Amino acid sequence: MAGYPTSFSQQLAARLAPYIGDFNAQMWIKSVARRELGLAPEDLTVTHLPPLIDGLRPFLQTLMGRSTAENLLQQLGREVH
Amino acid sequence: MRFRSLAAFPLLYAAIFLAIAWSLEGSEALAPFTVWQRILVRVLAAAGCFAAVSCFERGDHLRSAWLWLGAGTIVILIRDLLRLFPGFAPQGTAPNAQLVVTALGILSNLALLGGIWMLARSWKMAAIVLPGGRSGFGVVAVATAVLALTVTGPGAFTHLQEVSRGDWSSLVLVVSAVVDIVTLCLITPLLLTAISLRGGLFAWPWGLVTASQLAWLLYDIAAALRPGLLPAGLPLPEVFRGLAENYLFAAGMAQYFVIHQVRRAAGAPVAPELRPASPA
Repeated sequence: MAGYPTSFSQQLAARLAPYIGDFNAQMWIKSVARRELGLAPEDLTVTHLPPLIDGLRPFLQTLMGRSTAENLLQQLGREVH
Repeated sequence: MRFRSLAAFPLLYAAIFLAIAWSLEGSEALAPFTVWQRILVRVLAAAGCFAAVSCFERGDHLRSAWLWLGAGTIVILIRDLLRLFPGFAPQGTAPNAQLVVTALGILSNLALLGGIWMLARSWKMAAIVLPGGRSGFGVVAVATAVLALTVTGPGAFTHLQEVSRGDWSSLVLVVSAVVDIVTLCLITPLLLTAISLRGGLFAWPWGLVTASQLAWLLYDIAAALRPGLLPAGLPLPEVFRGLAENYLFAAGMAQYFVIHQVRRAAGAPVAPELRPASPA
């Protein structure tokens, strides 16, 4: 488990990285955190999950379609709750 | 492994095509072999595009993109099949038949351009951060545009002169050249999107679509070469056409497999190591 991401944003990014790459996963979370919540990624906590998921939705829908994006976001929500 | 095989398939196909074409050099069988393999790669490309369409829902952005690409491929396949009939052959003299062939060529080009355009603008819709920033994008875009104009510009100008002299059969070549210039310019966002998504599953379809567009660039270069510059009997433009169509097939299949992999993963139980760490 050494080196495993421990902050909430790192965990989210780690879940998205297999699909969109590590670079974009971090950039998306950073972008949504700033735009939707006015927070830096390191300040995110599990309570910010609903607005984060809402913010990520349009990006994921473009890349993978609405139903697949919805499945992935629901899974993401279950995993980090 | 599946994605690597998809990426290797067009190269393997090109090698086999070249070997057979070389073995048939000077034979009457070379021309029909070339024509039928062209039809085969069109069928494969259409199959890849519609496989990709099938994994999206109506209204999804990428469904429309793949639908345009598939429709364009089907239309050009119909044109190729029609050309097997004497009236529609390139040397045919029936004006109506030639008009149909020209119209199909233009329609196909426009549909393919629509599809590539939609794929290329996805990075903006998905807020994908392209590597190199604005300046990096600009440098690659200018380099691609210069290359596209150098390769296809002279041909476009020649065909435009032919149209102005009343040779309307050259209209499809003008449209094709203009579409080539625009689609080659769209390599930039496709390539940078693929690079940006590196390490992720979605890099595969984008990378393979980019490879298809690069193969079209090579096709244009090979088609623009004077006949004497190539070894006799080496159908280089056909090799690159096959590469381009097969990479489109591979990209469509990669899109299909990626979406299904995400769906399976989204429905799978959560791995313990992916659960958030307990607060200290």
